Parts: sequence; structure tokens; C-alpha cells
Amino acid sequence: MTAAPVNRLSLAVVVIGSFGLLGIAIAAAQTSPQGDPNRGAVVAAQGVPKAGVPACAQCHAYTGSSDGSGAFPRLAGQSAYYLGKELADYAGGVRSNAIMTPIAKGLGATERADVAAYYAEVKGPFLPLADVSSALFKRGEQLAKVGDESKGLQSCDNCHGPGGAGQPPAIPYLAGQYGPYIAMQLRMWQRGYRRNSDDAMAYIAKRLSDGDIDAVAAYFQQVRRADQLAQDSRK
Amino acid sequence: MATRLKPVDAVTIGVGLTGSLAALELAKAGLKIVGLERGAARFTVPDFQSPPIHDELRFSIRKAMMQDNTKVAVTFRNDSNETALPIRRWESFLPGQGLGGSFVHWNGQSFRAQVADFIYKTHLEKRYGKKFLEACGPELIFQDWGVTYDELEPHFDRFEYLCGVSGTAGNIKGKIQPGGNPFEAPRAREYPNPALKEPYFGAIFRKGAESLGYHPYPQPSSNLSRPYTNPEGLSLQRCVFCGFCERYACEHFAKASPQTVILPALLNRPNYELRTNCEVLRINLDSTRRKATGVTYVDGAGNEFEQPAELVLITAFPLNNVRTLLLSGIGEPYDPRTGKGVVGRCYTYQTTGGPTVFMDESVNVNPFMSSGAPGTMIDDFGGDNFDHSGLDFVGGQYVGSIMTNGRPIEFHPTPPGTPTWGLEWKKAVARHYNHTILIQQHGTSTASRLNYLDLDPTYKDAWGQPLLRMTFDFPDNDIRMSQYIANKVVAIGRAMGGKTVVRGGTRKPYSTTFYQSTHNAGGAVMGDDPTTSAVNRYMQSWDVPNVFSLGASAFPQNITYNYSITIGALTYWALDAIKNQYLKAPGPLVQK
Repeated sequence: MTAAPVNRLSLAVVVIGSFGLLGIAIAAAQTSPQGDPNRGAVVAAQGVPKAGVPACAQCHAYTGSSDGSGAFPRLAGQSAYYLGKELADYAGGVRSNAIMTPIAKGLGATERADVAAYYAEVKGPFLPLADVSSALFKRGEQLAKVGDESKGLQSCDNCHGPGGAGQPPAIPYLAGQYGPYIAMQLRMWQRGYRRNSDDAMAYIAKRLSDGDIDAVAAYFQQVRRADQLAQDSRK
Repeated sequence: MATRLKPVDAVTIGVGLTGSLAALELAKAGLKIVGLERGAARFTVPDFQSPPIHDELRFSIRKAMMQDNTKVAVTFRNDSNETALPIRRWESFLPGQGLGGSFVHWNGQSFRAQVADFIYKTHLEKRYGKKFLEACGPELIFQDWGVTYDELEPHFDRFEYLCGVSGTAGNIKGKIQPGGNPFEAPRAREYPNPALKEPYFGAIFRKGAESLGYHPYPQPSSNLSRPYTNPEGLSLQRCVFCGFCERYACEHFAKASPQTVILPALLNRPNYELRTNCEVLRINLDSTRRKATGVTYVDGAGNEFEQPAELVLITAFPLNNVRTLLLSGIGEPYDPRTGKGVVGRCYTYQTTGGPTVFMDESVNVNPFMSSGAPGTMIDDFGGDNFDHSGLDFVGGQYVGSIMTNGRPIEFHPTPPGTPTWGLEWKKAVARHYNHTILIQQHGTSTASRLNYLDLDPTYKDAWGQPLLRMTFDFPDNDIRMSQYIANKVVAIGRAMGGKTVVRGGTRKPYSTTFYQSTHNAGGAVMGDDPTTSAVNRYMQSWDVPNVFSLGASAFPQNITYNYSITIGALTYWALDAIKNQYLKAPGPLVQK
């Protein structure tokens, strides 16, 4: 959490400022510039051809629901701060991915902030999911809500919020995130390929078995916040 | 009629810091041990997990982790002419209950006592003379501990490495280290982990203190700065600055507690048995009253048991250590009229209370983003770190900006003159919540003939036994000390850029109605003289040598600092003597 020097009051100031009521400089905010979701929407839909950046929508969908394969994470409603930081980390090489690194590098700081602001705002639908075994789901729920004393593991919800709802701005939601993406990231942390967060996640991932990872991933994929239930594409 | 159980080698009364640490040492030596804990068993998972663990009403206000004072309270009065009344709501101090004791809900503030603390009388008489001490107050009592810092250093070191303390050394083997506390006692090596990151309020304090020529340093913390595996093979994670530390248990395996750094290495041993929900009524003595035969306790179903044991370790909260001795008739109770007797004598507390610094609205403090020991400190006024010649007191305080939380029910600073309710109060809270810095003064408590613990003549607990009675007020010496430092600290608040600085300092009379400190100390103090100490330098009872009373009840006077690390070091010291001397030839380790 120390890596997230955003504070609640300065965010409040920003909201007022964006309505033009107050000309307050965002002196206290150490975050990336505040993005414009309308400009971001254009990047999402069309990319930045002159910089060789394809449309985000190709993989993540214009709605931020992504393509349902689980190869690409759901972005819809993730905090702008978090999305902006991940893009900056890709651009700076702190987080690495063959597809995302050149895209993030192609975007300027302003465009990254814009597109982050756009995907933070959209409410993409939740796509239909295959059933998972109830044993797997229950193990995932146990780890997510309670943890495992024998492995020295606290619950995921401690940081990721009740029901995996996220603790914005710094900590992403897991509820409704694609299982394959969650599992992939945990394995990246486990093996040292992902290092762009505080060492908390690497430490935790190393204590998870393969079965635990599959269980947590299967569980969070199924979870919805109460206000998101309406976004399920099929009930 | 009590059921007599199979004898064991040792029993601990209480399973908190000292009870679990002592049991682990004895279990490794092969003894069969029973740990008796009056509260419930509880573990990081599932008991300390969020969101329930962040219930401020339950834990901070209703004190869910504290001693059940509907069953066993403490009575209190300011002086011996008054009638004491039971404390029905814990406010001033918070004795823990349940597996792990108060070492679960502590803040993790991890200091060592200083060299002079252990030879307090000798040191002060040598530096200032007996007349000076007499002038500070004829009622004051100064004593040496019977153990020296040098003897304890390896045990301090061992306990810090057990806890994974995160800090910056100020003095390694006599060589002053940059960035640390230049006043600290010499340590053999660096802390096991680097200091926590400095919060914004600490950075502002650092700047202000430095501008006045003081020596700021990061507060040593048992909330860890990085993942760590301790010598028992137990792993801790790093603190995430959640702002729910003191009065709470850590959900992240990031704070040293019996659950994280001791119990997993103890509970899996076949020669250790934990029994929770067991209230020890007394230690039983044989007909000579020179030997303990074991303890009598009541389990959660109300059944009474006698647990015979060769060795009895009193390992409860300091106040309850003293009460156990009194209820068992071990040692002569202190008589304030004659000054004779040792059990209950030299009860001390802690002098606390610092200024509040109200900052400009452009300064965003973010107090909610904090650990239990995030402070930036100065020790320039600690203990005897400054020359008291020409002053009218002894003792001192550390000073630091230690904001452990910004929790909504507890934290809403407003400047003087603000109404205490209504719209104007709400406006002031909104204005100042994120723009206020608290500075802590925290220091010595001098022992006095007038302050003591005994059994209450009127009030009884749920099992019909007398409650402990506390008779306490701050000696005038301690008030003068705290007010002197309060004057100095106001200047730091101004140097920090405070718009309004509300002066702090300890005041009389002592009141139990607001939080000050859970560092209750003394009452069964250690020393070399059986007429002025209840236990010897190994915390062994002078009168009943197979009883040891471990913990801060052994402090002859209270030190500048939060005391947990010193308790851990003393426990290791005592257990070293028990393992290497006592078990080979049970009997007094020091002759009367």
C-alpha cells in the first residue's frame, strides 16, 4: 500500500476540479496525469496507428470485458490509477509482456492516462462461464475469504476487498476477473517473472500449490459484486 | 472437589509472550509442560481475518481482545485514603486475554531498555548524588535490577531476531551508526530487518526536530519491513500499513506475536499441552510453604482441577502476576504504612501525552495509512540522556511522531475552542482530519512508596476471589519531568510548521478514563535484596524457589520505552538460568 501515494482528499479535489469549479493544481497528487475518458475511448476503439498501437478493443473489447478466453484480463471498472500504473510499468519494463510492452511504449503518458480513465468508467458485461467443480470453488472460496493457517496464508480479501471487490485506487478487483488470467499471473509471481508490485504477491504465490491457484482463479471468476449482477450477459 | 491430574514438569499461568516463550525453551529441553490460558484459542487464520478484524466498534471501543472485566476486574484509587472502585471499562490500559495475550494486540513498538535503566539507583546516585534524588521526592524509590544490560544483550539480540524487528541501529558495539538512535545502548549487530518506510508525518517531524539540533531516527518495529524467516523457522510477511494494529490482531502475518513467531514451533511438540479457557485460582504450596506443588484451575465448564507441577511459571499480564502471588500467599505483601513487604511494592506506569500539531490544509497527512510502529523519534530527552543537574526531577521521555491509525471512531482531532458536538464540530473534523500530526511523549515512571498493588477488601471476581486493588497517582517528580519536556516539544511542533500547537505533558491526578499506556509495571520486582524485591535477578521467588514470576511485574521502576522487547530479553535470560542451572539442581539460584 505504500506504493500508492494517492490520497482520498486529493482525489476529491480532482473531481471538483474536472468540473471546472476550482482551478486547483493537483500539487499533492503524485499519480500520473488525470486522463480524459473521451480521448481514451478513441484509443480503445482505434488505437494510435501512427505509433503502431492497435486498438485495445481487439483483445479487451470496447466494453472492457475482453474476449472471454481468459487470455486477456477484464479491464472494465478497474481503477484508473491501477490501469495507468500497469501501463506505465509495461512501458518502463518493470512488467513485461510480448504484446503489452510495445503497446504501452507506443502510447504517450497522456494517452495511457486517457485510456486508463476510459476503461475505469465502462461497465462491460460479464460473459458466460463454464461450470467449475464445487470442490474447486469451495477451496478457492476458503482461500479467498479465510486463508490457510497451515501455509501461513492470509485471505485474499484482506487486501483485495470483501468478495474481491478491490481496494481502489491501488489494489485491483478480482471479482469477475478471468480465471486463466488470475492463474497465469499467480504463476508469474511464483516464478519471479512478475515483480511490479510490492513483494506481497510473490510471497503469497510461492505458498500456493497448483491446485490452490486453480481454485482461487476458479472462485474469483465466478464472484460478482451486488451491483454487478445486472451486468451478467446471461442469468 | 478438584480433580487431581497427572503431574507434569512445568506449568505456565498464562500463554502470552512470556508463557509461550518460556514453554518453548523448556519444551526444547525435554520437559513436559502444560500451558494454562484463561481466554480462548485463536489464530491468524481464521480468527484475525478481514473484514471482521477491522471492526473498530468491536475491538477499539468495546475492547473485544481484553481481559473480561465482567469476570475479573481491577479496582482503582488515587491514594490510600480513598475507597477503590472496580474499573468496568478498560480505557487507560488494556490487558489482553486469549491465546497470545497482550502480545497479540500490541503495536509492535520495539525498543531496548538502556544501560542506565538496569542500574538506575547506582547510576543516578553517582551522577547527581543522594541529596539530589531526595530533593526530587522523599517518597520515591530507586532500585537496581540485579541484572545488567551487558548480561542481557545476547538475549535482547535473540529476541529481536525472533521477532524480526525492523529498525536502524544507532550503536553497534559502541560505534555510533548514521541514521540510528545515537543514545541507544550498544548492540552486537544490526537489526534483523531494515526500518519501515517513513510516513509523511514522520518526515515532517524529522525536518522539524533536525532544525532544532535533535537526532531523529526510525522507530524500531515488530511490524516487518520485508518477508523474514526467524530462527525458529517461522515466516513473517511485510506490513501493509493497514492502520489496524494496536487493539487488533494482524491478519497479514506481518506483526510479531506468539501466533506468528513462537506458537507454531511449540504447539506441534508432544511434550507441550495447551489448555485454553482455564482460569488459574492459585498456586498450591506444601506444608512448609517453601515449595509449590502445582496450581488449581477451573476449566470452561466450571470443573475444578489440580495440576501438580515441579515448576510453576507465572506468565500472565504484570498485574495478574502480582495478583497470583498475593492470592497464593507467596512473598510478603507490601505494607505502605511500614514500607515493609515486597509483593505489590513499586507498582509503576508510564508518563505519556504529547502535543497535537494542526497543520495547513495543503499538508495531507494520510493518517489511515500506517503501521503500529511507524514513528520517527528523538531520544534526546529519553531516560538520563540529558543532564538533569540544575533541574528538579529525574527521568525522561522519548518524543516522536507515531500515528498508528486514522480510524474514524477514534481519530478526529479538533483545535481548542471547537464545540464538542454539532455542525461546527463536524466542520472542524473535516477540516483537520487529514491535516493534523500527533506527537507522542512517552517515558519513565518512578516508583513511590505511595503507589502499590494489593488485594481489594470489598470486591471479588466471578470465582469469589478478591480483585487486585491499584493505588496510584503520578509522583510530582514525573509531572515536572513530563511538563519540562512538553515545553521543549512545543518548539518542535512549531518548527514542523504547525499553525496551532496544543501543548502536551502528563497531568495529575492519574485517571483511568482515557487511554495512556498498557505498560503497567512492577509489583513483583527483581533485585539482589530480598527485603526490597519479590524475585531474584532470575525472576525466581525468594520464598518459593520453584516459582518464577516472569515479565514487567519484575521492573523496579518503569523505563522510557515500550517494554515488550525488554520483557522478551528478560524471559530468555531467566530461562537460560532455569535450563542451565535450576534444572540441574532445583533450588534457589541466589542465596538469601
